[in-house]
Amino acid sequence: MNDRDFMVGASGITLAFLIYWFMGHPFFIEERIVMFLAIMSFSGTLMFFIRKARRGEEIFLREIPGLKAVEEAVGRSTEMGKPVLYVPGIMDMDQVETVAGVIVLGHVSKMTARYETTLNVPVSRAIVMKAAREACKESYLIEGRPDMFHEDMVHYVTDEQFAYAAGVNGIMVREKPAACLYMGKFYAESLILAETGNSIGAIQIAGTASQAQIPFFVTACDYTLIGEEFFAASAYLSQRPELIGGVKGQDMIKVIVITLILGGVILRLFHDMGMIDFSILEFLAVR
Amino acid sequence: MLWKRQIPILIVAVIGSLTLFGWFVDEPNIKSFVDDDATQWYDILASFAIFLGGFNLLKLQLQKVLRKQYGWQYSLFAIGGFFFAIIAGFFYKGNPDVAWGTHVTAKGTLFKWMFTYMFAPMQATMFALLAFFVASASYRAFRIRNFEATLLLVSGIIIMIGRVPLGSNISSWFILYLLVLISGIAVNAIFKNKQYTLGIVVGGIALVTLAGNSMGWPLDQPGLFYLPYLQEWIYFFPNVAGARSIMIGIGLGIFATSIRYILGIEKSYIGE
Repeated sequence: MNDRDFMVGASGITLAFLIYWFMGHPFFIEERIVMFLAIMSFSGTLMFFIRKARRGEEIFLREIPGLKAVEEAVGRSTEMGKPVLYVPGIMDMDQVETVAGVIVLGHVSKMTARYETTLNVPVSRAIVMKAAREACKESYLIEGRPDMFHEDMVHYVTDEQFAYAAGVNGIMVREKPAACLYMGKFYAESLILAETGNSIGAIQIAGTASQAQIPFFVTACDYTLIGEEFFAASAYLSQRPELIGGVKGQDMIKVIVITLILGGVILRLFHDMGMIDFSILEFLAVR
Repeated sequence: MLWKRQIPILIVAVIGSLTLFGWFVDEPNIKSFVDDDATQWYDILASFAIFLGGFNLLKLQLQKVLRKQYGWQYSLFAIGGFFFAIIAGFFYKGNPDVAWGTHVTAKGTLFKWMFTYMFAPMQATMFALLAFFVASASYRAFRIRNFEATLLLVSGIIIMIGRVPLGSNISSWFILYLLVLISGIAVNAIFKNKQYTLGIVVGGIALVTLAGNSMGWPLDQPGLFYLPYLQEWIYFFPNVAGARSIMIGIGLGIFATSIRYILGIEKSYIGE
């Protein structure tokens, strides 16, 4: 789709929505219009930067030490002749962090295929097992090493949180992997895993959006991808322009959000001082 | 290629859009799909997938035992536990008075016994390990290596002491005296001059004593140096500000990732 077609399509959708709105917008929950407009404008910003990147515009992506270290960790494992352990969190595929973890696994498995290093992926959900297997299989195929792929490199342990932690700890202590990567959604088991990994001297890289677990990973791991860095991992590792464009779009949305926060504070101040009747909190409340 | 690429992307795009935009639509069928049906579909799929997981677990553990791989003895426990749970769950209740189905929660059944006397203590043991891991992790985090680590140590100590009953009994004057002594150490380290150090320490102690005498030594005044107030301020202001900024980043990350899936820009999940 060229720029003209894209603009025509976007204008058409906007016009259609405006007509629908002025016709009385049946079935639309009117109280949620602010959220709807925010989603649409943020999506538009993302699309704009993705298209910009696709056109070949140079986009600067700052260096993320944790992601740079992934290849280093796989290389270290190769040199030491030890496996790489990859933990994609303890939640199912309905969590976006688990999906992001499986995506990063695809990139990591490309590296292990390239370096001919053993990869071990214990999972706690059967659906994650299937998805992770597919991701690894494709990566080994892309790297031209389907012979190195075997289904059991991704294996199921248990759904239970602490039983899973015990199982993975057992693997760590017995196999002593040289690199442990934790990418996904974690709860209280995060520190149990990371401290055990630390005790065996493995290079550890964690990535999670579970806010409460970030301090534990920062303490026990060599590198931690905090929140949004974790979601940018796929763009960084693949270097695909449309994904990098998405990261740039995300940053621009952040600028918009910061501006809105500052504007909101000023409006609230004026409201509290009795200078205006418009309440920004009422306006933004999600109903 | 159609089945492995286009159709999965189409399913993600349609279901993703429906779930996202269904939130804005006041139509009972869409509402019930978004709120109930979609999650039930997922649960049904997950229930079938558990067979795959269970068989995979059993296969790997049996292989380990048959090939006498390193640590095969542990696999015996895994296999034993697997079959024991199946027998207790599907074949033997251990209490004929209890109906099938309720036997997993009713007292006096084999399953409940297994849960109470085997599963729960083992889970508690793993959870209890956290206490030791928190201690070792804290030790590493609080080692004074640089300015940030020192800041972490100081705020950590203030939060810890300020949140326990002992903290509310520590007078803010004691903290002020402590600060005077720390200032003395800092001045000595910077200037390496005994007279400067003596001046700061003696002057500081005199100043604090005079202020204390004039104010009547109240325990919680000046509030800035009273640990319960100070920890509350650290917890509710700098901490919340940092946490919210991370939350905004996470929210945007999730939003951008979801949009990438819905629009079919991110295709790594199907191995592309």
